[in-house]
Amino acid sequence: MRLTVEDIGKSFPGVTALDGVSFEIRPGEIHALMGENGAGKSTLIKIITGLYRPDRGRLLVDGVPADFHSPRDAIAAGISAVHQERNLIPRFTVGENILLERLPRRHGLVDYGRVHREARRFLDMIDPSIDTRTEVRRLSVAQMQIVEIAKALSLEAGVLLLDEPTASITGHEADALFAVLRRLKAEGKAIVFVSHKLEEVTAISDRVTVLRDGKVAAAGEPIASMSRGRIVSAMIGREERVAEIGERDLRDRTAVLEARGVATALGHRDIGFTLRKGEILGLYGLVGAGRTELARALIGDVRITAGEVRVNGRPVAIASVPEAIRRHRIGYISEDRKAEGLILAHPVRSNVAITVWRRIASALGLVGRGAERRIVEPLVRKLDLKTPSIEQGVGKLSGGNQQKVSIAKWLAAGVEILIIDEPTVGIDIKTKTAIHELIAEITRDGVSVLLISSDMPEMITLADRILVMRDFALVGEIENSRRYEPMSRRIMSFIHQGAEGAAENEPNGPEAAHG
Amino acid sequence: MTLGQRLIANEWSAIAVAIVIGVVGLAATSPAFLTEFNLYVMMRSFCVVLVVAFAQMLTLAVGQLNLSIGALGGLVAIAIGGMMEVLGFPIAVALPIGLAIGALGGLINGLLTVRTGINGFIITLATASAFTGINLGITESIPFYNLPSAFVAFGTARLSAFPMLLIPPVIVALLLALFLARTVPGRQLLAVGGNPHAAQLSGVHMNGIVVLAHTLSGLLAAVGAILAVAQLGSAQPTIGQDWLIMSFAAPIIGGAALTGGHVSVAATALAVVLIVLIQNGMVLAQVDPYWVQFLLGALILAAVGLNRLRAVRAGEA
Repeated sequence: MRLTVEDIGKSFPGVTALDGVSFEIRPGEIHALMGENGAGKSTLIKIITGLYRPDRGRLLVDGVPADFHSPRDAIAAGISAVHQERNLIPRFTVGENILLERLPRRHGLVDYGRVHREARRFLDMIDPSIDTRTEVRRLSVAQMQIVEIAKALSLEAGVLLLDEPTASITGHEADALFAVLRRLKAEGKAIVFVSHKLEEVTAISDRVTVLRDGKVAAAGEPIASMSRGRIVSAMIGREERVAEIGERDLRDRTAVLEARGVATALGHRDIGFTLRKGEILGLYGLVGAGRTELARALIGDVRITAGEVRVNGRPVAIASVPEAIRRHRIGYISEDRKAEGLILAHPVRSNVAITVWRRIASALGLVGRGAERRIVEPLVRKLDLKTPSIEQGVGKLSGGNQQKVSIAKWLAAGVEILIIDEPTVGIDIKTKTAIHELIAEITRDGVSVLLISSDMPEMITLADRILVMRDFALVGEIENSRRYEPMSRRIMSFIHQGAEGAAENEPNGPEAAHG
Repeated sequence: MTLGQRLIANEWSAIAVAIVIGVVGLAATSPAFLTEFNLYVMMRSFCVVLVVAFAQMLTLAVGQLNLSIGALGGLVAIAIGGMMEVLGFPIAVALPIGLAIGALGGLINGLLTVRTGINGFIITLATASAFTGINLGITESIPFYNLPSAFVAFGTARLSAFPMLLIPPVIVALLLALFLARTVPGRQLLAVGGNPHAAQLSGVHMNGIVVLAHTLSGLLAAVGAILAVAQLGSAQPTIGQDWLIMSFAAPIIGGAALTGGHVSVAATALAVVLIVLIQNGMVLAQVDPYWVQFLLGALILAAVGLNRLRAVRAGEA
């Protein structure tokens, strides 16, 4: 089957997700689709699978225009997909999930014998160890991913789209998947493969299309002609700009936030660090290392069981988030902006002013629009927040501008210490630089920042010093030289050494790491 | 697992234990409890409640709810009463039309929900008021008493110790269990309730399934109405007024997930047995019937709490 995408455009309020994208998937090829987060890959896949309808342009299946109104239409046309989000019914068995929309029946009733036999056939292609009679909610994340893949394979579709299929499975399982994909390719199937892992892409694909900011940056280039460097530069664009912070010597600044021997109810132990005034202190670690949880302990959301926290030199025991904000001027920006940071349906004005309502309320307890505007509007200008007006619903802003609203909110509150968790996840590369410059700028105004990030370049660009966390303990502290190669090597070595330290049960891990 | 953990993990064992305790307690304290007449009365009241509970269970299964069950039941009750008494329709004509009215009411609920995208809570709250309005507009609150004798006789007939009235609900329960466990629309209904997004991406016709659930819910409300008319021997406009709380209580006590995707026919039926037992026990103890309302409320809270506990144990919370 041949799938052609012609001049597709799709906009959401406030964002142009796709702008004139064309590409073609031929029978018997594996076509890699690459791009940064927010480049438009997922939107494109959702259009091809009938979940979104394009504003303009068209899809052709074997040269015939196709108009998909729902995923049903796409499936009927022979297009099947593994989406990034988990799409299984937790209480159903593996077998039933795989054959969900076309359960085989006999005498009008579901034929479970056949369900499990057929599901078995597709599951065996990747992992024969999963029982088709297990309920999906009892599986591990990796097993669920395999079930998703088996489900997509079971449609025996002419076009197979895989959106980051290897994100949560082991190398062994990925190899089995690749063997299946090569076989399907030999059978003449057309396969679209989305991945961030360059090694995978170069190993398995025939051609690559790169999206950048909703446009095609490289169109169906043969993989042999594309070096990794060329793929990366197509993804990030030639005009890549990196925020320049410049080296700063902050050693004689006063300490605003100190932790000594802190342990928490979640299992942190012996956490010690100092955040100085106007400093960006990085907290690096792998996902699950306990960084977000430490942040929550510092703002009084997780119980601290031992040790001492000092704010501006005075020992404190912060019991709640409001206390952290009002008495100690510590704010926290969650990594999950949409779920935890912002009220999407509310306008920019109230999202920013929410932190100051109590302060600006009149004697009768009323909050005036004018008072809100006087606080919000200067911040909107200062942060270069792109919004038609401060009455715009935050949900309609782009990810980068939403993040600016989060920062504005805390600046309005007059925080002196700001903990920022993964500030640029899901934000395109240009806005990312703007956010970086903004963070640097607020520190020049005297705000101290504890920056949590899993993004190594971001960490090395922004942080003055970097703490490395592993398994709920600090395993290293490094002055940032802002030279990428040596810094990333040192950080990674702490993460690996931390593993050995843990294995040897060394109680004084952090101190050992200093040496 | 200890016995206690097992009881918490299993949806219907806790209800069964409560029923056994209730039966033993009532038999020991009230000589009237185990008489044939009392058991017959209990079985008769079981019938309507069971079907009404199933009507709600279907909307819960797809992740919706139906506040119009009682109103629709009342409308169907007076419709069949009117058709048989005033228009002189034979039973074999009036009852199918009554069922069709129920299904149509449910269809309207379903279509309004998926077409407008408005929460089913508001939609069915509004249609409930509309259905009640039609009911009272037609009857002016006057019941239909002169029903065909064969129909009234069915409501009181017995098969040795069992009321004949028990036959339709038992058939409904068996069909419903088969529907949910073994038919494609039934499985799709639970799939949509379990993860609407996933079901849709798998090519399940989501809106169609939601409409189906509401339609079947309306149909079962009509079955409940017919049974209620047969049980009372007259078509009262007030039929259905007390259905709402029980319709939620039974499926929830029976472990239905309020988010959809998981219901149990057997556990819901056991929950209805428990509810009937409580009502009967209070009658025997000559407690003011208003306190039954209170107890049902408490029971729902306890059941929701238990379900939550199960979810936390299973690591789903």
